[in-house]
Amino acid sequence: MSKILVYLPTADGKIKRSALEVLSHARVLASKNGLTLEALVVDENPSVFVETAAKYGAATVHTVQNPLFKQHLNAPLIQALESAIKTSGAKFFATPSMEATKDILGALAAKLNAGVLPDVASFDIEGDAIVALRPVMAAKVLQKVKSTGNVVLVSVRSGSYDASEAPVSGSANTLTFEPDANSIKAFLREILKTAGTGVDLSEANVVVSGGRGVKDEDGRKMLEDLAALMNGAVGASRAVTESGLFPATAQIGQTGKVVSPDLYFAVGISGAIQHVAGMSNSKVIVAINKDPDAPIFQYATYGLVGDLYKIMPILIEEIKKIKAA
Amino acid sequence: MKFSVCIKQVPDVTAPIQIKEGQLHQDADRLVLDAYSASAVEESLVLTEKHGGNVEVVSVGPEKAKETIRKALAMGAESAVHISTDDNASYDSLSYAKILAAYYKNHSFDVIAVGKQSQDTDAGLTGGMLAALLDLPFATNAVGLEADPSANKIIVKRQGDSGQEMIELPMPCIVTCSNDMNDPRIPSLKGIMASKKKPVDTKTLSDLGLDAASLQADMKTQVLGFQSLPQREPGKKFEGDATELVGTLMNALQNEAKVL
Repeated sequence: MSKILVYLPTADGKIKRSALEVLSHARVLASKNGLTLEALVVDENPSVFVETAAKYGAATVHTVQNPLFKQHLNAPLIQALESAIKTSGAKFFATPSMEATKDILGALAAKLNAGVLPDVASFDIEGDAIVALRPVMAAKVLQKVKSTGNVVLVSVRSGSYDASEAPVSGSANTLTFEPDANSIKAFLREILKTAGTGVDLSEANVVVSGGRGVKDEDGRKMLEDLAALMNGAVGASRAVTESGLFPATAQIGQTGKVVSPDLYFAVGISGAIQHVAGMSNSKVIVAINKDPDAPIFQYATYGLVGDLYKIMPILIEEIKKIKAA
Repeated sequence: MKFSVCIKQVPDVTAPIQIKEGQLHQDADRLVLDAYSASAVEESLVLTEKHGGNVEVVSVGPEKAKETIRKALAMGAESAVHISTDDNASYDSLSYAKILAAYYKNHSFDVIAVGKQSQDTDAGLTGGMLAALLDLPFATNAVGLEADPSANKIIVKRQGDSGQEMIELPMPCIVTCSNDMNDPRIPSLKGIMASKKKPVDTKTLSDLGLDAASLQADMKTQVLGFQSLPQREPGKKFEGDATELVGTLMNALQNEAKVL
């Protein structure tokens, strides 16, 4: 029986939500196509994640343990994934698409001489192939692609599927990993954390994003206040990360992060297609914009036509009342 | 320092696009230098201006790719290599990486700079694939780059998931560049004139010991067609004074969407 192996990246002691989305979809595909579903955790302390992986349907969870993985370097991760894919004998390998996996996917595919479909919006298994839809041409259209090979890799955009539980009894399978010291030539000097609410943008349930309509620090502060009140994260369009008003880490869009919160506030964002590509999987979208013809209103669940500098202070007060109640 | 920059010619993604019978059609058939490639060229020029050295650009593509090569030469690159392919040939990322690897195997360089992805496909695979094929250390999604030639290393500031990572790489190495790294210069008239005299070395696949048929046969990914984006359900748009608008929104979020 062919096998689908799902890689579950971890951060801050949790499996990434986008990884559980991919695992949930892979479980559906496995049952439809008669495949075995297995999961893979690569971490300095992977065994703590086995229970969660089993809750989402992975009976076998391969674990690779090494303190090296804390360092965000691509060479050890590529080695670990290559070896895990070979050892498990997986035919299909799925991973959430995020900066850390974009970093390794191409090299991993070349080392395995595998077929590979990056950053897909949806995928299905057809015989020995993966067929997927990916946004291309600045996210204006979807390209339908098919990849085959002894192994086929796929990375999936955040929010493409819902994470759903289907508990099984899980067991860990520890894989041995001997990092090849000679091939690890890069060295991590430091990680520069950017200031913000401290909530991970790609995991946040609420995202408050600013665009060109946010003119100054006072405007940004209002967005930060609203995000903090709702335990959310602050995002931004490319225009205002480029201008330096918002940190580069906050950039949402085809060239930045893809987010899919329950509630997305687009504040002073016109709604260029490149930005929309990064947030259109959000469940509820609220747009605040002065221009009644702004494209963002085509995507918004609720659109408010008006001046954000007048609306935001009142909105913040109303949210405060609810939180206090 | 010797920089070699892989550049790609892409369709202008800002031009209107239509899908007819599953195929892409663009009214203006305009081909341009990929924006991420342009950032890779720019950063290489800046570092050679600072530390000395030269910038070469390498592009795989049909005859018309020469226009894009000239653009990079006009920006300031000193020389170019055009690996020519048939007009109608299309390859997957791994094939392009194999072609580039075949070239680099017999050429020396300190840093290969490439775009982190290209504007037309946004795949972002080729840089990492090339690194694996050449067995070189690499870093992706660079938003800043510094060089320390005396220590034979570069320092890459890359945008990670939850912050910016400062990574030190020994040379030779590969860096994939974000368009957030810099604003690529617009070629000056002088630069454009000078570009016409700069050397472009044209190579065929067979010069590199490759042949199109085997590359095509090894391809694992094929494009089946194109379709429109799914439309979101149209929502509600409210106008009025700020207090009224917020009241309406709060009611909708609490009682209709139930997200508060």
